[in-house]
Parts: sequence; structure tokens; C-alpha cells
Amino acid sequence: MSRYWTLFMGSAFLYRFLRDKVVIVSFSMLLLLVVISFSAPLIAPFDPYDPTQIDIMDSDVPPVWQADGDARFILGTDAQGRDMWSTMLYGTRISVTIGLFAVLLQSILGIALGLAAGYFGGRLDSFLMRLADIQLSFSTLMVAIVVLAIFQASFGTELYNDLAIFMLIMVIGIAEWPQYARTVRASVLAEKKKEYVDAVRVIGLSRRRIMFRHILPNTLSPILVISTVQVANAIMSEAALSFLGLGMPVNQPSLGSLINSGFEYILSGSWWITTFPALLLIMLVLVINLLGDWMRDVLNPKLYKD
Amino acid sequence: MPLLEVRNLEVKFPLRQGELVALRDVSFSLDPGERLGIVGESGAGKSVAAFAILNLIGRPGYISGGEVLFEGQNLAKLSPAEMRRIRGNRISMIFQDPMMTLNPVLTIGTQMIECLQAHRRISPAAARKLAIEKLRSVSIPAPEARIDQYPHELSGGMRQRVVIAIALLTDPSVIIADEPTTALDVTIQAEIMELLLALCENNDVSLILITHDLGVVSQVTRRAIVMYAGRIVEEGPTREIIANARHPYTLGLINALPERTTPGQPLNQIPGVMPSLMDIPAGCAFHPRCSHSMEVCRCQVPTYTGGANFRVACHWAAGREQQ
Repeated sequence: MSRYWTLFMGSAFLYRFLRDKVVIVSFSMLLLLVVISFSAPLIAPFDPYDPTQIDIMDSDVPPVWQADGDARFILGTDAQGRDMWSTMLYGTRISVTIGLFAVLLQSILGIALGLAAGYFGGRLDSFLMRLADIQLSFSTLMVAIVVLAIFQASFGTELYNDLAIFMLIMVIGIAEWPQYARTVRASVLAEKKKEYVDAVRVIGLSRRRIMFRHILPNTLSPILVISTVQVANAIMSEAALSFLGLGMPVNQPSLGSLINSGFEYILSGSWWITTFPALLLIMLVLVINLLGDWMRDVLNPKLYKD
Repeated sequence: MPLLEVRNLEVKFPLRQGELVALRDVSFSLDPGERLGIVGESGAGKSVAAFAILNLIGRPGYISGGEVLFEGQNLAKLSPAEMRRIRGNRISMIFQDPMMTLNPVLTIGTQMIECLQAHRRISPAAARKLAIEKLRSVSIPAPEARIDQYPHELSGGMRQRVVIAIALLTDPSVIIADEPTTALDVTIQAEIMELLLALCENNDVSLILITHDLGVVSQVTRRAIVMYAGRIVEEGPTREIIANARHPYTLGLINALPERTTPGQPLNQIPGVMPSLMDIPAGCAFHPRCSHSMEVCRCQVPTYTGGANFRVACHWAAGREQQ
């Protein structure tokens, strides 16, 4: 273990991380957001999922620094009387969870199919890549809207509300696998021609072992880079779907559904219901994207800038 | 009985422009413990021959005829799973560029242990011990520390030693070395060649050395094959071939050695280049570049003539022999 620790401490990755202020700030912000959102049950002053803690009489309370503010609700309350700060914490937790699991699903599907397409080539390759082309010619949102709307219509809103989080993960996960498949396939095609692959074939290893143990680790850096960007994309897709009313239900809101729920009040003075979740969402996506950009620069040795 | 016998091997690559014959009528045999050199210019089919022995011709190429008999088994007919049991276990191969043949993201220990576990039932601890032992046998200092390093932490000569150690891991009976020293410094070249020679002698391993360097062949091998355009043009004891070459192509290769030139004079190159395998000249493939070419060379493929332990495919040499 200590060997890996010293390796990590001496790595160019850490060196470049510590020299880039933007990245340190982004990373700390991301870490902070993830930590506070996942410890929401511990630190949030209210539980927005518990109807007994919600009083309709507290609805539309402005943030504490405004004239009608209430000391209990730092960032005010929404139309149902839920504390904005607590609801946002819980909402961020849902958004991040959906983002991570959707990307996990995307990467499992995309890496397996991309690896197979690149390594075996031939008809399998053509078939999978044409499938990817077809899938990419539908926008993710369109596919998601169609699937989720059909599900809601056929199984009823009740069941949908229970399964919303799984449905969103499935839909966003399946809709975006071609991104991974294409990236992985391109790297596999490049790696496959290298002599070390011939060498392990000569050693007599099986194809599965060559694919997963020798070629896959060599394609990891592009996978890492698109993974960060894809997490941000998945969070945004989820927010967009929730905003359109196809995502998380109102009683279990994600950042997107919070933005949606406050949208109708924005012109009647209750600006905080939409604005605070929106700012949080922007911040979350921005820091992830900044980290992704930095990682692409670091992991691609052809792009050394300084 | 020879350990490895290649009979009338033919390899083809079907391409859009037509079928390319990369190897035609290649036959040779290798006795246990024997060292055989395969010499020729780039594109003569040396590496294709090596890959054909291991049944690893890359698509779209395929073995279209002949057989590769290893201990009486025809390797060209084995199933992929049976072939994997031979590859890297009974027959190992060493490649040209040690920078490229080790996986950059795995430690050399991982790669060695993996190779052992692919062929033996062996515990990781025992495999590691054996790997360290093999690293020591190729004169790598402090193998216990080296085994946990990544390929980029080693120098070129060191890496080629590691590659040789991997080839020796499973105690194979044949090692095919495809230009094992071409990518190395001249001083390291000699060291690696000596090491390979010593290891083959001590462990009674047969060696097929593929190279374009006649100097190396003369130091290491007892018998040599000269290839041109996918065909064997001359075969015989190495000493005999160097001292008393019969084929004009072999003579040309020997004369092209820098040692044969007086300093300041241009090198004695063979005029012209190897023909593309797409359109090999009719008759003897070498005739357009040959200074002894005759009428018959243009239209008739020369057959092998010679004695018990050497043969040559050349009309001119056959004519001289008869006189």
C-alpha cells in the first residue's frame, strides 16, 4: 500500500493538480457538494420527505435576509412550505446519484460493446457502430421523453413516482452508451496494432484475457475523461427531464424538479424557489466540467501546454 | 526425428487486387537443440514464416497449404484452444522492439506470472518465485526489486532481457527470435546475443533466429536459410553459406556487409529492390537484380539442387555445379 502511496505522491498527476488553482477550487467545491448532499439527513434542518414537518402556513417565506424572512428558513421555503436549503440538499443527492449510476450503466454497456467492436472487428463492428450511429441520431432527451411518457401513460403516475429514480438511470444510461462505445473502439483499434498485443497472443493468453486485462487498461485515460463530462451531462439531462415534468416527482424533488416547481412563481415575487436550485445546479455542472477539461489536458500527453 | 518440421508451407493474403502469396513452398526442419538462422531482406517473408509456425497469421492472411509438424502434430490444423497450449508454452517468440512488446500498464511481474498461470497450475507465490529466478538467469541485477517495476522504468537492453526471461518461463523447446537485437545499441546487441546463445545451449532449447544481419547468423547459428520473395533460395550449414555461397542473392548479401568494403568506397549493394509480392517476376524471382541472369531464369522457376545438407534454387549455380 505504501508503495502505491509514494507512487501517487510522486506522480505528475498530483504535481499538476497542486499547481492549478482552478482545479483545486473546483475539486474542493465538488467534494463539498457531494459530502453535504450525501450527509443531508444529518445536517439538513428539516426532512422534506416527512409530511409532518411541512406546514402549508410556512409557504413562500422569503430568504432570511429579506423583510419577511424567518430565522428557521435560511433560504426561504417553497410553495408547499418546505425549507429550501434542506430540499436542495436532498435534491442534490438525488441528482448526483442519478448522474453517477447513469454513467456507470453507460460505461458498462459502452465499454463492453466498444471493446468487442474494436477487438473482433468485421461484421460485429459494423453492426454495433451503425447501431450507435442510429442511436446518436436521436437526441437523448427525445428518447427519454418518449420512453418516460409512454411508461407514465401505461403504468400510471403512481407507479412511475415510485420507480422514477431507476427509470431515469436506465433511460439516461442506455441512451448515451454510444459515446463510450465509440471512444473505446477508437482506442482499441489503436492499441490492437501495437506489438505487445502480438506478444501476449504469442504467449498463448485467451482472447478474453487479452481484451480485458491488456487492452482495456490501456484505453483508460479517454474513458476517465469522458466519464467526468458524462456525469455532468447526465445530471443536466435529469434536470431537463425533471423540469419538463418527466423526472423526479414533486414529493421527492431533484434539483430539476425544484427549478420547475418554482418556475410558475418566479414572476409573482417568489424568485428564490427557482433561483437557488438553479445556481446549485450550475455550480455542480460547472465544477465537474472544469475537472473534466483539466483531466483531458493532463491525461493527453500530446497536449502539454505549460 | 526433427522437433519441428515445416513442409511445403504456403501462406496467402487475399487482397482487393488479387491474392498475394507471402510464402511459397517453404520447407525446413529443426532438430532438438539446433540453432537455425533465417536471413533475407525486409519483405522476404521471414516474419510471416514465424507467425505461420505459431498459426498466428493476421487476417486476412491464411495458411493455404503445407503443414507445420511439431513433435508429430500438425500445428496448422489444431483448434485455437489446443494451439494456445503450444504457444508460449512449448514454442516461445521474442520480438524486435522490447519497447513495444511489454504492456506499459502492467508490472513485469504481473506479465510474467500471467504467462505462467496461462500454462500451469501454479500458485501466485510460486509463480513469482519462478519469475524472479528466470529474471536472475538472464542476468538482471536485483530481480526481487525489478519484478515490481513497470516497463518504462527499464532500459532497452534490460527490457529485452525481460522479454527473453518471459520466453524462457515455461521452459519451451523452441524459441523463435524475430530480429531480437535490431532495435538495440550495438554494444547491447552483442550482450543480448551472447545471452540468448548461452541460454539456448544450457537449457537445450532450439532457436530459430530471424534476422537480416549475416554477421549475427554466422556467430550464433549452425544452419541457415536464405529467403527471397517468400521462397527459400538457399539452405545449408552457416559456415558453408558464408564461405561458399552458391546463390547470387546470398553472394550479394555477403558482399553488402560493410566489413567487405574498403573504407571510403560505396557499399556493394545489390542493385534494385525486392519485387512486390503482388507481381513476382516470372521464372526466378531474383533474375531482374541478378548479374548472372540467363535466358532460362526468365521463364523457368529454378528447382532445388544440392547435396545432403545443402540446397540451392538457382539455374546458374546448378550449371556451375555440373561443370
